[in-house]
Amino acid sequence: MTEEILPSAEFRAQLQKRGGATASRCYQCATCSSVCQLAPDQAPFPRKQMHYVQWGLGDRLAADPAVWLCHYCNDCTTRCPRDAKPGDVMQAARSLTVETLAAPRFMGKLVGRAKFTWPLLLGLPFAFWVIALYALNGLTIPEAPLVYDVLVPHWLIYVVFFPVTGLVLLATLISGLRFWTLIGKNQERSGSFIGTVIPAMIEVGVHSRFAKCGTAGSRRWGHFFLMWGFIGALIATTLAIVALYLIGTYPLPLDHPFKFVGNIAALLLLVGGIWLWINRLKGGEQSGTSTAFDNFFLYLVLLVILSGIFTEVGRFYFPPALACWIYIVHLTSILTMFATFPYSKFAHLIYRTLAMVHERMAELKASK
Amino acid sequence: MEKVGCFLCTGCDIGSAIKTEGLEEIAKESGATAFVANECLCAPEGVEIIRTAIDSGELDGVLIAACSPRAKMDEFKFDLNKVAVERIGLRELVVWSHQPGDEDTQMLAEDYIRMGTSKVTKMELPKPPQEAIDQTVLVVGGGLAGLTAAKASAALGHPVVLVESTDKLGGYLLGVKDLVPERPPYDTTHKNDIQDLISEVESNDKIKVYKSAKIKKIGKQPGQFEAELLGGDSFKAGAIVQATGARPYDANKLSHLGFGKSPDVITSRQMETMILEGKLQRPSDNQMPGRVVFVQCAGSRDEKHLPYCSSECCLTTLKQVSGIRKDFPDVECAVIYRDLRAPGQLEHFYLGVQENSGGMFTRGEVDSVDTAGGKLKIHLKESLLGDEAVLEGDLVVLAVGMVPTSADGEAIRQLKDARARIEKKESDTQVAEGQKLEEQLKHHDGTEILNLNYRQGPDMPVLKYNFPDSHFICFPYETRRTGIYAAGAVHAPMDAAQAREDGWGAAMKAVQCIQAMNRSEAVHPRAGDISVADFFLQRCTQCKRCTEECPFGALNEDEKGTPEYNPLRCRRCGICLGSCPERIVSFPEYSVDAVASMLKIIEVPEEDEEKPRMIAFLCENDAYPALDEAAARRLKWNPWIRVIPVRCLGAVNVVWIADALSRGIDGILLIGCKKGDDYQCHYIRGSELAEYRMENVKETLERLSLESERVRVVELARDEYARIPELFEEFAETIEEAGPNPYKGW
Amino acid sequence: MNAATQKPLLVVGAGIAGISAALEAAEAGQEIVLVERDPAIGGRVVRNLHYFPKLCPPTCGMEINIRRLERNPRVRVITGAQVTKASRSGDGWSVTLTHAPRYVNSRCTACDECSQVCPAKVPDPHNLLMLEVAAIRLPHADAWPRIYTMDRNACPAGCTKCVEACKFNAVNLDATEQTEELEFSAVILATGWQPYPIEKIEELGGGKIPDVIANVQMERLASPTGPTGGKIQKPSDSKPPKRVAFVQCAGSRDVKHLPYCSAVCCLASLKQAIYVREQLPDSEVTIYYIDRRAPGRNEDMLTKVAGMDGVKLVKGKVGKIEKGAQGLTLRVEDVESGKLTDAAADLAVLATGMMSSLKDAGLPFDIERDDDGFGLDNPRAGLFVAGVARRPEDVAASVRDATGAAAKAIAAAKQSP
Repeated sequence: MTEEILPSAEFRAQLQKRGGATASRCYQCATCSSVCQLAPDQAPFPRKQMHYVQWGLGDRLAADPAVWLCHYCNDCTTRCPRDAKPGDVMQAARSLTVETLAAPRFMGKLVGRAKFTWPLLLGLPFAFWVIALYALNGLTIPEAPLVYDVLVPHWLIYVVFFPVTGLVLLATLISGLRFWTLIGKNQERSGSFIGTVIPAMIEVGVHSRFAKCGTAGSRRWGHFFLMWGFIGALIATTLAIVALYLIGTYPLPLDHPFKFVGNIAALLLLVGGIWLWINRLKGGEQSGTSTAFDNFFLYLVLLVILSGIFTEVGRFYFPPALACWIYIVHLTSILTMFATFPYSKFAHLIYRTLAMVHERMAELKASK
Repeated sequence: MEKVGCFLCTGCDIGSAIKTEGLEEIAKESGATAFVANECLCAPEGVEIIRTAIDSGELDGVLIAACSPRAKMDEFKFDLNKVAVERIGLRELVVWSHQPGDEDTQMLAEDYIRMGTSKVTKMELPKPPQEAIDQTVLVVGGGLAGLTAAKASAALGHPVVLVESTDKLGGYLLGVKDLVPERPPYDTTHKNDIQDLISEVESNDKIKVYKSAKIKKIGKQPGQFEAELLGGDSFKAGAIVQATGARPYDANKLSHLGFGKSPDVITSRQMETMILEGKLQRPSDNQMPGRVVFVQCAGSRDEKHLPYCSSECCLTTLKQVSGIRKDFPDVECAVIYRDLRAPGQLEHFYLGVQENSGGMFTRGEVDSVDTAGGKLKIHLKESLLGDEAVLEGDLVVLAVGMVPTSADGEAIRQLKDARARIEKKESDTQVAEGQKLEEQLKHHDGTEILNLNYRQGPDMPVLKYNFPDSHFICFPYETRRTGIYAAGAVHAPMDAAQAREDGWGAAMKAVQCIQAMNRSEAVHPRAGDISVADFFLQRCTQCKRCTEECPFGALNEDEKGTPEYNPLRCRRCGICLGSCPERIVSFPEYSVDAVASMLKIIEVPEEDEEKPRMIAFLCENDAYPALDEAAARRLKWNPWIRVIPVRCLGAVNVVWIADALSRGIDGILLIGCKKGDDYQCHYIRGSELAEYRMENVKETLERLSLESERVRVVELARDEYARIPELFEEFAETIEEAGPNPYKGW
Repeated sequence: MNAATQKPLLVVGAGIAGISAALEAAEAGQEIVLVERDPAIGGRVVRNLHYFPKLCPPTCGMEINIRRLERNPRVRVITGAQVTKASRSGDGWSVTLTHAPRYVNSRCTACDECSQVCPAKVPDPHNLLMLEVAAIRLPHADAWPRIYTMDRNACPAGCTKCVEACKFNAVNLDATEQTEELEFSAVILATGWQPYPIEKIEELGGGKIPDVIANVQMERLASPTGPTGGKIQKPSDSKPPKRVAFVQCAGSRDVKHLPYCSAVCCLASLKQAIYVREQLPDSEVTIYYIDRRAPGRNEDMLTKVAGMDGVKLVKGKVGKIEKGAQGLTLRVEDVESGKLTDAAADLAVLATGMMSSLKDAGLPFDIERDDDGFGLDNPRAGLFVAGVARRPEDVAASVRDATGAAAKAIAAAKQSP
């Protein structure tokens, strides 16, 4: 079959802006693929992806699971004889692929250009909360002992977050399906999706791939804590709803076991977030080159974590006004994070998981 | 020589391995007038004995029977204008390579003393040619290499005549904007500086420039070339640098790549012009192209077109990509290559261009360029972007290779001979053959460049792929025409930086040739040799073998076919000596007679003694040194073989074979260099000619009911010393099987 | 007419470039002093079994060059000496040469008696330390000048066996260093190159795995005068390898090692592939490359080797070499098929590149160098660079280059007032 080579000048330009410019140095020696601990033998990366980036072949990158199987270990970058930084280029390719696959596209562009749009991305939700609360109760700061429900009633949270979550899930589903279809075109699969998701999730859960990383291996634990922190936070939130409506306890006392789960999650998030942040500050090949897209996400996560912790602590120890404003910031950051989920770096959660499922199913097909 | 001293060294175990007492008598029987034995002849005291004997006029010929002629050369250096010197390597040929004290070893040593002494008696003192030498260097071609060669020759103090066929100096570079980097940091192009070089040459009062000039003929020989231009001017020159460059491969043969089918498929030369003129346009609609696709190796590295790599096309493309991106940053450049060849520091250039252009380079073969329907579709196979893939482009640039502008002198000569045959109408077959040949060769008509008056053709003979160099690795300037050197793209595929250097190198060689002739010395590889050949023409039968076989075209013919020897063209290889059935060619210290006398003086034991005798002629450049090395490693070989070093296997006259066989010698081995495409013969054709001549000898042997195995030609490389014992042994066995030479004792 | 300069020309380094520069100038009438640090001339080329693309022995051309040197009265060759001081004097150079002690003088006949009795063994630099040889010996089989050399430091205390063995009074254990001052019109530096140290290519097992060797070592292994007598074998167990892998660009074209292309390694590996296939007809050879760089007519050699049975060329740079139970494992992506493989090999030859010796030759000339350490001509100071000291190149290019350098040096010296 004759493959069409469709270079996109626009795609190349965008990639260069997002940290993929070094790809032009590549001379296709394939050292990167051979030193990558994660590259599968049958479809190695990132040599081929480097070539797609050089030529601006966005269509091929969007349909390539390898873009997501890369964990940014940077073993490739450490060894690249041309200093073409394949790790960074793959990262850039991911950020642009998120945009390519985004539904709707403009949201992808908006988040993709976080370097310029971040005030908007954070400002809009903030303004929303301030206006909504002002309209509701004139932003009256409640008296101590502080109960946040007085400021922000639960129903308001449901009214906001349930639709947003629904929309985001829909957008994610569309993007995910797009991706799933595209990658399926290049490589046949077999086996059951559900049956494969579970082992893939377990793999994600223990971070066994990260463990293979050489150069940027230190990131493994930061990412591990952060991921489990998010999962913990999700569980804690669920438990909190259970506590509120089934048990009827609100607010939960600090020594409540559910609270304990939440605090553990917060601790994991804090440790993970700071770990990654410090890692990034160190720079070099261990962290790779940070782009606005990455930074926006990391700072957002840090904001969620810190504002969350201070919200909790603030209930007891801060003047109510301060605690309330921190809480508003917390809600803002969470809303931004939710709303940008399919368009930010967070989306790797879905793409990478799908890519890993695809990989297993493709291997199964190949082995038949 | 008449007063011959034999000096025997008994050091290095010579004295203990053989009985030296009888040697004096043997030497004297063989023609020596004096004999000295010394236990360390190479020590200053030993050398002094020889020197005193020479200086006193006591001796005019010296045989040093000691170590190999390749050892202690500095010590045994005497004035060859005064004395003939021959050396016999008793240490290597006898002592180190045979059983000490053995009867056969003793006989071997005695034979070598006889042979050496006898040879010296037949040697003569050299008569160096006394010729007037013109100091001018003639440079043909005014491109980068030619201009550089002219400038360099002038800087070395020689007058220069530069002949350029067009009306402008500068050649290919006149049509070029920037150059591939020649200086650090090597990552971007340089401004083309050809105008500076042109003015430097034109303002140099040592250099006379002829433009729009063609050479009508060049007569005589190096040191005395007489050049005449069309239009009348004539001048003398001592040496010639041919820097006539290359032309691009004919893109009309590349229709599969779309050339000729769409005006938007152009060659790299056309692209160069666009960049120079600052007009990057599609020829079809004069619009600026959005994407330019460069197709590398267009007609190069391809058995159907040019099998070789032109070395500079990758660099030219890098340069053009860089030029386009500099002046037209919105134009996308894509490069399809098979192997990106940017050697040495030019790797920096490759990287620099990739960085500045975004790096749309991919490895692949361009299968075809589809020109139907306006857009150009480039079909790739085995590319990194798909086994079969297609890319659209607005302008396709074919990176075409270079074809040397050399004229094939030998082919032109053959064409001339063929026409002469047709004219003569000797027989129908002669005419038919002549016509067939003419058909094959007539494309050479009018390609002459130098128009030399050489019997072997008017231009330098070409080798593989029509480049006129001699394909040596160690001696890249050597050609088959003495005093004529190639420089630049006519020499070998090369880029501008190399052409510049080549101009300097070729100038050095041209000047060196003139300087050697000023001293009456030969040039490479026998540099410094002051003897020349002597032709005893009274006995010549006009068989033309010498004039045809001389690898360097040293011999012309008069109307009757009598050779006319040009000593200044001669490299002293002795191939003419080998070729002559009448034995009329000789060198003062290397003649048919001298070697024949060695063969005649060997003691051939009677048949019943069961001691066969064999001769091995060894090329002194490779086989003989290998033998020395075998001896240094104390390898032992058959003692029935007598070794005679020769200048070249081509310098073995078949008369020697006949002489030897008629003396009762049982077998003759000729060991020389490799022949064929990867020949190692320093005279290019020596070993090939020897093989061919020996085939004829074998036929003759069979007619005389002698076994043809008695003569064998073997190739031996300089480093194959380890093969020697086996080689000798095997030959001895063959001879034993064949039985004794029936002519023994006659 | 004379094309020569008044004072002699100094050529530093008697490898193929230095020898060629010296001879080409001398045959044009120029007085030359050719200085070599080693006890014999020939530099790197005489360590090669064959030249590419003709597969001819370097000794063949050297034979002619040695004869040219012997015959030419205008060249003085000084081996075992180094330039230790140099200063500009007038329009030329004042140079101090330091001669290493000559423990064996020119009375030596190369009879080998001393070597036979010598009790001290030293690693042989000619064989890249892969072989032990006597402390007093001929530097190598084709050495010129044909005079023995001695590693005096290796002598056991009080040993005089060689002195006693020498019948020609050629050994002097008390020789001392000598200096000599000379005037020159111009200088050509042809100090050659050093192989990139294989130990620095740790990721490919260089210096760690015995069966990972450098191309220069392969040249010695294949050479009849080498440590194995010409048998290509694995250093680990001295058995012939069945699968031989050539790893191109090992340390070249790599910003983390040598950022330039060494220009000869592709052809050297093609040539060595022929050595292997000719000697071991059952062997399988794989050459892993980035680009097959065989410019000019060298293309023929690529075509020939690529078409040979038992030889495979794979585009892909080897990322890692590890030692396993069954030999070596090479991790590499076959770029053409797009698949990663763990290729097995018994012997891996790293095509290590060339570094200009000027990088750290310690010469007293203030020579300008590019970022890679290669020297640049300075005509105004009468300093010229030839051969691989100047840029990575093969033998034919070195000779061409050196011939041109000879002309440039004479021209510059003639033009200075």
